[in-house]
Amino acid sequence: MQRQLELELIRKCKSGQSRFYEPLVRAYEPAGLRLALAMMGNMDDAQDALQMAFIKTYDTLPRFDLRRPFGPWFFQILRNQCRDMLRSRKAKFNVEALGERVDQHPADSDRSPERVRQRSAAKELLWRGLERIGAEHREILVLKELEGFRYAEIAQILEIPEGTVASRLYHARNALREALVRLDAEYP
Amino acid sequence: METRQPDSPITSDELMRYLDGEMGPEESSRVDSALERSTELQRELALFRSLKTDIQGLHFHPATYRVSVWDRVNDHVNRPIGWVLIVAGLVIWMTYGAYVFATSAISPWEKLATGAIAIGILMLFASVIWERYREWETDPYKDVYR
Repeated sequence: MQRQLELELIRKCKSGQSRFYEPLVRAYEPAGLRLALAMMGNMDDAQDALQMAFIKTYDTLPRFDLRRPFGPWFFQILRNQCRDMLRSRKAKFNVEALGERVDQHPADSDRSPERVRQRSAAKELLWRGLERIGAEHREILVLKELEGFRYAEIAQILEIPEGTVASRLYHARNALREALVRLDAEYP
Repeated sequence: METRQPDSPITSDELMRYLDGEMGPEESSRVDSALERSTELQRELALFRSLKTDIQGLHFHPATYRVSVWDRVNDHVNRPIGWVLIVAGLVIWMTYGAYVFATSAISPWEKLATGAIAIGILMLFASVIWERYREWETDPYKDVYR
C-alpha cells in the first residue's frame, strides 16, 4: 500500500471513521497471517492472534505517531499478541496443519511425481526444523526471509537494538542448521 | 561504526549483514577479500545462503486461506458505537416514560405499586447484565469469535 494512502487512511481512522480501517486490515492481513502462522504453528491460533492484533491496533491508533511507518508498528503488536497467547494458552507450534502450509506454487516447474515427492519431503523437513528451534528464532527468520524486512525494521518490531539483529539472525540460522542436522538433513 | 583492519577476521554478525545485503560498499569489499582468502568462510557463507533460499522457498501462504478476519474485527470496532446509541435511546425513553407516569392522573397507590414492579424488574435486569459483564471481563477468549 502506498505510504500517502496509508497515512490518509490512518488519519481517517484516528478521527473515528472506522470504515477506513478495512483497507488497512485487508492490506496487512496476508503478511500478518504469515507471521502469526510462523509463530503459532496452526491456522486457528494464527487467525485468533491476527484478529486480536488488528483490534488492539485499532484501539491504540489514537496514540500512533504518523511519522512512523505503520507496518513495523502493526507487526510489533502482532508479535506481542502471539507471544502473549503462546504464554497464556500454552499453545504450541506444531506441524499438524502441515498440509495447509506447504507451498502450492513451487518455483521449480518439474511436476513429475518423484520431484513433487522430493520437494514435499524437503519442505516437511524444513518445517520440522523450524518447529524445533523455538518461537524467538522462528519469528526473526520469518521477518527477514519471508517478509523481507530490513534490519532497522526488524529491530523496531522485535524491540531490540539494530546492532543485535545480525547476531539474533546468526543464532537463529545456526539453530535451524543444527536442528536439520539432527533430522539427518544434508546441512553440514 | 567501528573501522576494522582490512585483514581482520570476519565476524558472524558481519557475515549475516553481508548475506542480507546490509553492508556498505567498503565493508562488502572487505568481506569479498576475506572470502577470496578463506575456503572455510566460503563454505559457511554458501551454507547460510542455501538455508536462506530454502526458507524463502517455503512460502508461508496457506493453501486453504480461510475467510478474512475483517468481519470479526469490524464487529469489535463498530460495536461500541451501537451500544452507545442503544443505551442513549433507552435512557431517553425511560426518562420520558417515568415523567409521563409520574405526572399522570392515576392514584398514588397505583403509582407506588407500578413503580415498585418497574424498579424491581430493572434491578434484576441490571444485576444479570453486571454478572455477564464480570464474566466477559475475565474471559481470556473474549475477543475471539468463532
